[in-house]
Amino acid sequence: MLLIRCPYCAVERPEVEFAYAGEAHIARPQDPSALSDEQWKDHLFIRSNPRGTHFERWRHIHGCGRFFNAVRDTVSDKFAMTYKAGLPRPSEAEIGKARS
Amino acid sequence: MLQEYRRLEGSRIAAPDSALAIAMADDCTRFSLRIAEEGIAQAGKAFGVALPKQIGGMTAAGGRLALCLGPDEWQLMAPLDERDALEAAFAALYAKVPHSLVDISHREVGIVVEGRDAALALRSACPLDLDEMAVGSATRTIFDKAQIVLIRQGQDSFRIEVWQSFADHVWGILQAAGREIALEI
Amino acid sequence: MSTHRISAKGRVDHGKPVRFTFNGQRFEGRKGDTLASALLANGVHLIGRSFKYHRPRGILSSGSEEPNALVGVSRGVGRSEPNTRATVLEVFEGLSTVSQNHWPSLKRDVGAINDAFYMLFSAGFYYKTFMWPKSFWNKVYEPFIRGAAGLGKSPSLPDPDTYASRYAHCDVLVVGSGPAGLAAALEAGRSGAKVILVDEQAELGGSLLSEPDTGIDGQPAWQWLKAASDELAALKNVTVLTRTTAMGYYHENFLGLCQRLTDHLDTLPEGAPRERMWRVRAKQVVLAQGSIEKPLVFDGNDRPGVMLAGAARTYLNRYGVKVGNRAVVVTSHDSAWLAAIDLAEVGVKVAAIVDIRSSVSDHLVRLARAHGIEVLTGWTATGTRGRLRVSAVRVNPVGTNGKAGRARVIACDTVLMCGGWTPSVHLFSHTKGKLDWDEERQMFLPGAPTEETRCAGAGNGTFGLAGALREGAAAGAEAAADAGFKAKASDYRVEGDFECTGISVRELPTDRNPSSAKAFVDFQNDVTAKDIRLAVREGFLSIEHIKRYTTTGMATDQGKTSNINGLAIASDAVKRPAPAVGLTTFRPPYTPTTFGAFAGYNRGSLFEVTRKTAIDGWAEENGAVFEPVSLWRRAWYFPRPGETMHQAVARECRATRQSLGMFDASTLGKIEIVGPDAAEFMNRMYTNAWSKLAPGRLRYGLLLGEDGFIRDDGVIGRLSADRFHVTTTSGGAARVLAMMEDYLQTEWPDLKVWLTSTTEQWAVIALNGPNARKLIEPFVEGIDLSDAALPHMSVAEGRICGVPTRLFRVSFTGELGFEINVPSRYGRAVWETLYEAGRQYDITPYGTETMHVLRAEKGYIVVGQDTDGTLTPDDAGLGWAIGKAKPDFVGKRSLTRSDMLSPGRKQLVGLLTRDPATVLEEGAQIVDDPSQALPMKMIGHVTSSYWSEALGRSIALAVIEGGRARQGQTIHVPMPGKAHAAEITGTVFLDPENKRLNA
Repeated sequence: MLLIRCPYCAVERPEVEFAYAGEAHIARPQDPSALSDEQWKDHLFIRSNPRGTHFERWRHIHGCGRFFNAVRDTVSDKFAMTYKAGLPRPSEAEIGKARS
Repeated sequence: MLQEYRRLEGSRIAAPDSALAIAMADDCTRFSLRIAEEGIAQAGKAFGVALPKQIGGMTAAGGRLALCLGPDEWQLMAPLDERDALEAAFAALYAKVPHSLVDISHREVGIVVEGRDAALALRSACPLDLDEMAVGSATRTIFDKAQIVLIRQGQDSFRIEVWQSFADHVWGILQAAGREIALEI
Repeated sequence: MSTHRISAKGRVDHGKPVRFTFNGQRFEGRKGDTLASALLANGVHLIGRSFKYHRPRGILSSGSEEPNALVGVSRGVGRSEPNTRATVLEVFEGLSTVSQNHWPSLKRDVGAINDAFYMLFSAGFYYKTFMWPKSFWNKVYEPFIRGAAGLGKSPSLPDPDTYASRYAHCDVLVVGSGPAGLAAALEAGRSGAKVILVDEQAELGGSLLSEPDTGIDGQPAWQWLKAASDELAALKNVTVLTRTTAMGYYHENFLGLCQRLTDHLDTLPEGAPRERMWRVRAKQVVLAQGSIEKPLVFDGNDRPGVMLAGAARTYLNRYGVKVGNRAVVVTSHDSAWLAAIDLAEVGVKVAAIVDIRSSVSDHLVRLARAHGIEVLTGWTATGTRGRLRVSAVRVNPVGTNGKAGRARVIACDTVLMCGGWTPSVHLFSHTKGKLDWDEERQMFLPGAPTEETRCAGAGNGTFGLAGALREGAAAGAEAAADAGFKAKASDYRVEGDFECTGISVRELPTDRNPSSAKAFVDFQNDVTAKDIRLAVREGFLSIEHIKRYTTTGMATDQGKTSNINGLAIASDAVKRPAPAVGLTTFRPPYTPTTFGAFAGYNRGSLFEVTRKTAIDGWAEENGAVFEPVSLWRRAWYFPRPGETMHQAVARECRATRQSLGMFDASTLGKIEIVGPDAAEFMNRMYTNAWSKLAPGRLRYGLLLGEDGFIRDDGVIGRLSADRFHVTTTSGGAARVLAMMEDYLQTEWPDLKVWLTSTTEQWAVIALNGPNARKLIEPFVEGIDLSDAALPHMSVAEGRICGVPTRLFRVSFTGELGFEINVPSRYGRAVWETLYEAGRQYDITPYGTETMHVLRAEKGYIVVGQDTDGTLTPDDAGLGWAIGKAKPDFVGKRSLTRSDMLSPGRKQLVGLLTRDPATVLEEGAQIVDDPSQALPMKMIGHVTSSYWSEALGRSIALAVIEGGRARQGQTIHVPMPGKAHAAEITGTVFLDPENKRLNA
């Protein structure tokens, strides 16, 4: 069971308090009707699925209830860092720093 | 007034030598308050107790209790007969400071877990490090498969707030844990 | 009686006899014995039959790695367990055990014929043998395989035991209480850190329990052990868990520890759980798991009486049992020499030490000779004799060319073998920690860790007592320091510890044809060296493939004694170094763990949360039959004495349509949506338009996923400009709230609106029928119930029976209906009050089945039954619920994707069977032509189907390709027996004008 740091509670909590919520940084388009079918398909269904660093959303569902973002390694499963929803995608340097 | 149906009313779990005593808490008024940060101070005035600002924080005065469960979420607890007054106080605040106040008095039941082995009983199904949980703090967490709010009222005194229909399940596990504690096994 | 007991030796309580049975025969052991030591004390070596060849097998080891000595255990009615290792099973008064895998008896086993057909059962025999003819599979092969499969007898009764769980957090968790683990726990414990020390055995000590003669800090080992145990017990910050197996090591220092609480007790304390699963989160972990002795691979190395030399030493020193009277030691490692000398000292005749090495330390040779032991260095073992017990071993000198010379046969009743020691890296391996290959010593060692963990002692390749104590103390001190405590490693002075060395060999050299040798590598799965070489010849080069083809290492012991021998032989055959062939992955659990321990409290009534409404108790007292709906249990129907379900449901339907029915709808999901932007939020979430919905009015709301498919629905009330009372499906409540929170928090955080679950705040009583209003009128205060003031689809707040209510005028049946929301603690009393008052109208409580029938008669859908995640609003005939003027809502964009507009989409329609008495099966497929060739073209399926009491015939809802345009046409529904013809109709079967609703 992973330990996950909730950026809102500012504490590490056991994984059972959390729920995974898909890939991060996929904002809903401001005006979906302006998108072509192809663009809308990409928004809806196409995800990155990388080996290694993955940006993803989690929710502290049995805690403060907040959705937040996380950087996790899909090989080791481990979290490098978590950050509040709405913050920009962290840079390689920031992730590296968080890992060390 | 109609007879109220109280789950597990009169049920008790106990282990000898005050190791453990578990019982249902008395009814109380409960509100879920959701409000943005800039309204916290005024909400505290309406409630009569300043609201804690840190998640996990808890403030209390005059039988009223405020638990901060999320960045914009508080559970407010008060004596039964203060419900209408509190609702009115917040209604007066609404125009100036929009917020959400929802009566959840009947949504939850309280289970008081006390005694030297209270934490041990909770550890049967609560994944938190209870040594790290300060007296006078509260948090939402999970107890086996039930979501709960856990309040640490004292070193050896906890209160579980849980949705009505999950209470039997929580109680069943506490009963099993209580048996283990009584048997010292 | 106990022919092989040496009462001057061992840690068992010689004053406390314990009686038990094995295969019905009575035996006596001592308190502190395992079943293995107690049987050996009685001269019993034959314990069971092997898995594949049914070969007689004995006791190989003295610990949890045991592959052979598996028994069935009975602790009374319902308390039976197969495949328990005799080497870890503590004897207690009244213990009853049986041997396994034989018929008719252990000594005469018909299945042993497999041994004679050895050639047939070589590696991959399943794949080769059961291929053809194809027609044999069902009738011959599968029954044969099923009959032969498995070890032991599964229990047939429900397990009467209970199981417990516990979470724990600590600074330092030490796994293993041998010298390294003890030293680590002492340092960490003295530092003040919170320590958990766990050991799978009944007492602390590990290898020290087998080696009483070494000295630590001037004390004999056992005296030091006592002092160390006492010190740990006195430290309040240290928790010592014996009989507890660290069965799995998971992410972020999370370990599962299975504690056996009562299996060793003569009498069970009333209500005590049998086992407890600890879920421990440790800041730091020290793994001191020790090492496992390797067998040697030679013909007949599996015969009862052939065992590991270290095990024999443990039986002698720890249990006071000599494993035989005349032993031959076969070894490639010094440690077996020490075992031989210990045995010789208590009078066991050690006929010879056969060491494959040509030169051995002079010290050992002198010692052996001084004990009258013949020393044969540079010799090999090439076979054993004896049927149910070894009677002799065949040994040969090995020439400088590596070839075995002329054989000699030495009579014996015990062969003690040792092929060296394998560091136990299982838990380290669970963490995906890298293993480094030590070429010189032919062993895998823990490499770079992925967790906050340290390995110490033999498990880290540091053999010998001095090294174990030093490394353990250092690991304990460092772990404590890393957890934030001040600690310094103590120094230990060790006397009488002999630093053992040895070499690793593959199969022992032989002068016989190796292809006919039964030289076992994996004892539990009956895999020989020959099998592994055959697998390589047939093209399997990776150990993962070899493992699966030969099944080596795949038994319940996960190859603890066999993996390294198997790897060595495979690497030799592949002609590649061992790391290139690879070690198979160790996975939790470390040793077999009961399902009960994993389940913990979650069995019986606590298997899963069973949510009950406030009114559930009334339903139970009034004879309801229940059905599960998500986590809820709901009243399904209320049969009267003698009624079938069909009769009860028909009566409930009739009563509701004719007069008055009442239904507990408390499980409806409820969400209170409050804030200045509440309507805007509703507009964005639901397909419908909400801005113009007046306070006090209700609207049916339809919720889509962003993919445009129906996710949920419910009736939603606007209580005030800024407050909505949303209802969801019973099963969808949590999902819908999570979806709403997701949009609100991450897409529209600027909206001033908040969501609160009120599902359990309100009990909901649905009253339906022409007399519904008449019933409640006398009980309602502050609400005008007239149709003008409170028309269909409206809501008002007031009081009922003196308690607050949100009264919904709404109907899911097509009748005049109300949903009475009251604070849930009042739910039952309001229900009872209305029920009593309703007797004048023959009020009839009904359950979910009647609710389903009544709504289907009106064509109201149930999301998740009539929809399946592929239906759009238009598919479901709910196009009217879309606010067409709204610029956007969740799912809107998807509704215009080309696929969503294609003409052949499945659409919800009604079906009327040609035979009105036929009730179609829900889920049945629909075809146009029932006489077409197989496979038929399926054009849809039945989603809901009932007997309609109101119509006096069956009705059904279905989804059919292009269905709406096909009304009046006939389709066919193939079901067991025959295909039924049915006509496609509209979805509303009753009162299409809604006259009853608006009454």
